[in-house]
Amino acid sequence: MAQPLLKIENLRTYFYAHSKQAFVRSVDGVSLEVGQRETVGVVGESGSGKSITAMSVMGLISGGPGVIGGSIHYASDKVQKNLLEGLENYVQLEEGNGRVLTVKKDESGWQKASEKLMAGMRGKEIAMIFQNPRASLNPYITVGEQITEAVRLHSGISAVKEARERAIHWLERVKIDSPRLRYNSYPSGMSGGMCQRAMIAMALSSEPSLLIADEPTTGLDATIQSKIVDLLQELKNETGISTLLISHDISVITRLSDRVAVLYGGAVVEYGPASQLLDAQAGFKHPYTAALLASVPNQQKIRARANLQAIEGEVPDTINTPPGCRFYARCNQITPEIRDKCAAIHPELKDVAPGHQVRCWRFIN
Amino acid sequence: MPQTKSKTILEVHQLSKHFSRKRGVLSAFNRRGGTIPAVDNVSFYLRENETMGLVGESGCGKTTVARTILRLTQPTSGRIEFDGRDITHLSDSELRPLRRDMQMIFQDLDAGLNPKMRVSDILKEAITVHERVSDAEVEIKSRLLLDQVNLKYSKLGSYSSELSGGEKRRVGIARVLAVGARLLVADEPTSALDVSIQAQVVNLLRDLQKQLGLSYLFISHDLQVVELMSHKVAVMYLGKIVEMGLTERVSGAARHPYTYILWSSLVEKHNREATQPIRVERRATWGVFDFERPARGCRFAPRCPVYEKRGRPAECTDPANEPQLRDVGGGHQVACHFPLGS
Repeated sequence: MAQPLLKIENLRTYFYAHSKQAFVRSVDGVSLEVGQRETVGVVGESGSGKSITAMSVMGLISGGPGVIGGSIHYASDKVQKNLLEGLENYVQLEEGNGRVLTVKKDESGWQKASEKLMAGMRGKEIAMIFQNPRASLNPYITVGEQITEAVRLHSGISAVKEARERAIHWLERVKIDSPRLRYNSYPSGMSGGMCQRAMIAMALSSEPSLLIADEPTTGLDATIQSKIVDLLQELKNETGISTLLISHDISVITRLSDRVAVLYGGAVVEYGPASQLLDAQAGFKHPYTAALLASVPNQQKIRARANLQAIEGEVPDTINTPPGCRFYARCNQITPEIRDKCAAIHPELKDVAPGHQVRCWRFIN
Repeated sequence: MPQTKSKTILEVHQLSKHFSRKRGVLSAFNRRGGTIPAVDNVSFYLRENETMGLVGESGCGKTTVARTILRLTQPTSGRIEFDGRDITHLSDSELRPLRRDMQMIFQDLDAGLNPKMRVSDILKEAITVHERVSDAEVEIKSRLLLDQVNLKYSKLGSYSSELSGGEKRRVGIARVLAVGARLLVADEPTSALDVSIQAQVVNLLRDLQKQLGLSYLFISHDLQVVELMSHKVAVMYLGKIVEMGLTERVSGAARHPYTYILWSSLVEKHNREATQPIRVERRATWGVFDFERPARGCRFAPRCPVYEKRGRPAECTDPANEPQLRDVGGGHQVACHFPLGS
């Protein structure tokens, strides 16, 4: 297999919660790969670290503690580098008893080094679209001008006219009706779906190699969601762009992804081909993935008027990580043989099938 | 399933709510004024122990219907009957005792949870707002409420900022139960929650309905949750109900093209190779409705695939002939000149 475009290894991003006077491990050892022309879906509940993983890749997390370790290898035709190269030298960490005690970080040094590494990457090589498209657009500038600005900034086209034509071209490619007319629209005059299309146009106008889509359909109507998913699918086929797709909506992930990573408590608990992982019938599944799939209403349950299978309990906070499996308290598949291990030792990701890994003691030995 | 004998708790007759769009004094002269018919002649009824789902895209007037029923906004015309009593023109003081019976759950988890109050105080306020209760009784009742919504007693001392999304939602439901509400208007109660937590809340609402015989008006854009929760479904499009009937019929055998597209967008989302019973050409004519220049006749015509397929029949755009809801059998009502499958 060719070298992956993006290879995240053991990424750790922590925050300090002032109200609780403790460190929260939002992302705690995430490893992921996005291959060339591949779409990798990331699912998980809120607080599982999905968005923070994406923002860490984009270098959008500043301040302390923030990103404290790991590596993000990026390798496109034009650029090959580790986006966190040497950054761990700015951070010192002290842990004890499952808690992070202190983090010492040279914030300005870290920031400078990070900006140096990210130069020419953000927006150019890696583009990102966000959940609330209207919030990401400037309400006082027309949509067209905003795309033109992005084109001039990233594509090396400085002539305004040419950039303008390019922007119109992209508006057309994301299927906005009468793009020349819409070029002069303000975001407030466009629907949520159209704003998201404009955002996608802006992100893709610099022809990046990697697109990070953070909940691209959340908050849109069902009919519009379906259209945005169609659009992303088409653009992926046309441009061959690699995508890191983040969503809590399993149906969106199902339709777009080649591979899927399930995040829980800041770590990947399952990683594998979408067809295997999201098929409720297929074997080898992390109990959390199985429960997540079961909690989505489907036709059978609606017909039977059965109660949904809920995952009892709440998402754990990641301040005090117990030594055992993070899903231990909510898991319904613990057998007497593995109970002790589940409670005491955090399991490793283990291959259960080619290219399919699960972090669960049931599949170890 | 709904019991046919249970009595009607809520009846809505030809309800309309128009918002005026005056823009300052000059609007009288430059004709920029006018009204937006957010809800236009909506009629339905809800029986006791029954759930009615209200679906539609954003901006179609779902929330306005909900707010108008609870008299949080004043209807422009029409009649609202609660428990056989016309409440359309009751004054605020006359409404106050009725507030015990009808309550709303809002989409915003923090709405109604004062950040400076502990859970125990929030519940106490709700328990004592309509009646005088001794402290000991408040204590007993609070615990009972927490039992009903599956919350631990230890949460009584927490502030809302210390609660997770699911817990906040449960406290919100407990507060509504505290006053003894019989009709709950739930406006997107699960849309701010994760799937696993959403499942907990859906189960809770269903269990409460069984135990307490509550009636729900359940508003959501999540069609699957609506299907799971509701006995009846009404589909709204731009202020009008375009289809209404038993859930199985509306979701499984939709007669209005809009309903069909709404539900098939869901199927498509799940399964690319979904078998489509009716071939509907989907054209990219998903314009936004413009209230200033409303489509004449059927509101859905500009987006309607059937309209295109039939060669744009004149009935559909005849301003004098806007389709009205009519029965197509078994209480299933459709507002369309050319309902699907006929």
